[in-house]
Amino acid sequence: MNAASKQQSIEDALLKSKKFRLFGLNADDIIKHFFAGNATIAIVVLALITVFLFREGIEFFPKHYESLRLYRWAGMEFVDYLKHESTDLSALNRMTNLMKRQESEVLRMKGLSQAQIAERLAPLDAFAAKFSEVPDGLNGLVADLTEIPVGILDRHKMCVNAQSHKTLLIRMGKIAEANAVKVDVIDFGKETAILKTFLPQCTEIHAKIKQDIVGLMSAIPDFESAEARATSLLFKKLALKFTDGIPVTEKKMAEWNPGEPIHFYRALTDFIFGSRWVTQSFWYDFYGVVPLFVGSFMISLLAMILAVPFGVGAAIYVNQMASKCEQNMIKPYIEFISAIPSVVLGFFGIAILGESVRWLTQQSCLSWVPFFPISERLNIFTAGCLLALMAVPTIFSLAEDAINNVPKAYKEASLALGANKLQTVVRIIVPTALSGIVAAVLLGFGRVIGETMVVLLVAGNRISIPDFTAGIGVFFQPAHTMTGLIAQEMGEVVRGSLQYRALFMVGILLFFISLFINYMAQKIVTKYRISAG
Amino acid sequence: MEIQEAIMNYSKEAGSQHGQEPSGQNAGVTGDDREARILIRCDKVNFFYGQSQALHGISLEIPEKQVTAFIGPSGCGKSTLLRCFNRMNDLIDDAKVGGGTIKIHGVDIYDPKVDVIELRKRVGMVFQKSNPFPKSIYENICFGLRIAGMNDKSVLDEVVEKSLRGAALWEEVKDRLHDSALGLSGGQQQRLCIARAIAVRPEIILMDEPCSALDPIATAKVEELIHELKKEYTIVIVTHNMQQAGRCSDLTAFFYLGHLIEMDVTEKIFTNPKEKQTEDYITGRFG
Repeated sequence: MNAASKQQSIEDALLKSKKFRLFGLNADDIIKHFFAGNATIAIVVLALITVFLFREGIEFFPKHYESLRLYRWAGMEFVDYLKHESTDLSALNRMTNLMKRQESEVLRMKGLSQAQIAERLAPLDAFAAKFSEVPDGLNGLVADLTEIPVGILDRHKMCVNAQSHKTLLIRMGKIAEANAVKVDVIDFGKETAILKTFLPQCTEIHAKIKQDIVGLMSAIPDFESAEARATSLLFKKLALKFTDGIPVTEKKMAEWNPGEPIHFYRALTDFIFGSRWVTQSFWYDFYGVVPLFVGSFMISLLAMILAVPFGVGAAIYVNQMASKCEQNMIKPYIEFISAIPSVVLGFFGIAILGESVRWLTQQSCLSWVPFFPISERLNIFTAGCLLALMAVPTIFSLAEDAINNVPKAYKEASLALGANKLQTVVRIIVPTALSGIVAAVLLGFGRVIGETMVVLLVAGNRISIPDFTAGIGVFFQPAHTMTGLIAQEMGEVVRGSLQYRALFMVGILLFFISLFINYMAQKIVTKYRISAG
Repeated sequence: MEIQEAIMNYSKEAGSQHGQEPSGQNAGVTGDDREARILIRCDKVNFFYGQSQALHGISLEIPEKQVTAFIGPSGCGKSTLLRCFNRMNDLIDDAKVGGGTIKIHGVDIYDPKVDVIELRKRVGMVFQKSNPFPKSIYENICFGLRIAGMNDKSVLDEVVEKSLRGAALWEEVKDRLHDSALGLSGGQQQRLCIARAIAVRPEIILMDEPCSALDPIATAKVEELIHELKKEYTIVIVTHNMQQAGRCSDLTAFFYLGHLIEMDVTEKIFTNPKEKQTEDYITGRFG
């Protein structure tokens, strides 16, 4: 009797439990589905972002290809040959000014008065004046020629607009009206033929330039300052290089053919290897990512050079050498740095770091350093320093983890064999944790290359490949980065335009760089886990 | 409970007699060992982890070129004492020797003037869990020499071979000296650690339960090795395995709750111990 009732109650408990149910699901199932849903949404959103990025970016290629074709068809390519020469000559002109500055500096140091200096510089002034007249003919020709492709392009644009208007009308069913719209077709070959007629004039101008330059070379006055003499030698070399280049340009111009096809791959190669990024100009927009890439890369490189020793060094110190009290102080403090908003750091960079670095380089006691004083307050160096500050917490935390994962037994064994602390760290701890440290550095690099606000504020935002002939001084030139450019231009770009697509392409490039870095870091970490386990 | 009380009374007694423990007093100097030179001499050593006392007035003497085994239940302080001999306890925060002296060759090793690095070169250690570095077998053996500044390849080669032969590992690994040491089996790794310890030619080798993670065959090999090493080195071994202590040691010390209960020739400890606790422990009646 008693046993039977007990049996009954167990059955009740097992089979007829009155647990909470919703749509036939009990609480465990609901929790499980809730978390599964969260994970799914995260994945779907990420996938959508990637798809959107590619969808917006991929149309860059046909548009860029079209733009490249027009560049040739309208004859801009032809005119650019001469424009290059013109810019080269103005660069040479700037060099004469540099010589003048260097010479007068030395003369002033010697204690000569203003009048005496002017007197001494008179031959140089005469030379500079003569040289500045050299490109006059060329500049006039360029100015004349520039009008032609611009006109062709304008008419082409009108035709395209008319065509799209007509298509629109047809689609709306207004056939009669559509037929009334007259669509011209521009024959680029015929339009640009006029450019070729300038060739004889061009040859004439070239001959005169060559004659002028060769004639002037012997007229370069002698200098007192060694710097100016070096500059003048370089000037001579470059000027002769320029004259040597004239026949090559002439040949290119003579052989230039607007009908020559452009390979489709150039839409990609001109983007990846192009050395000019010029947008919203009246002439032609170039989309070459190299200056941005170089800017990003150099800033990140500098940031890493500064951040890795600090981050890894601090990690080693905190984990291996510091007392408990120091650990409790240093760790939260370094991690606190990552809590500073990047825009605040950027503000600090402009107001304090940039100013003080420039002030420092202007001190006369440091004037012996070759590239001092620096002229730009905002440059690669300031951006690199601030990014290093941002990367240190990442590198520190991850490297500290990696070092912490080194089994204590290794340290004990090393010390028991009579190694001192430094030997233990250098020969056992660091090699064992090396892959973890490398992964930390890579992740820090990923953080740095993706950082936007700081570089936008303090990198100086000049889109050009830094002048590597300046040696270390290259780090004190302004630059622009891929991230900063997107942030800067995205706001003012026409949606769907070539520039808009180009910005997305830069975004995709960044995406791939980050992906690659994270992949490498993951791989190294996995390898590390196996070797330590 | 009774035993604990007995211990408490015992230690009070010992305290009142200024550490003149009835059996510890003549520890290690009985019988044949009387002629052997004493290498390590502990005198009333107290040891603290923070506030808690781990060793209470340990006095013992360890003779040269003998195997001395420390036995006792877990937490009785035998490993702590062992790690005092090469000052590995320095690595632990708050751990300190509070009174008493440990002398090796008559030098107090806790004297502030003592060079800990030099001490550890002379007092090698093999740990409970084999801990070869994640380097090649060759580099593992060389480590001690390299940190001492020795980089002559011919010398290193010679030492590697000699040490590996000394640890009875040469035949097994001679063809793969430059492979990772982590690829060896547990027993081989432990013998590699012994080879690494003897490569720097220490005088004393401390072994902290060297066989606790090994299978019986590997254990037998290590024990055989200990027997061989005795000819050249003074060995102090901590073990939980009574048979092992019986098999390979000359002297045995029994610890309980931080006290040295008894130390004597191994044979005597196992056949005719003076103290009741020792007998109980050895026969497996408590713990």
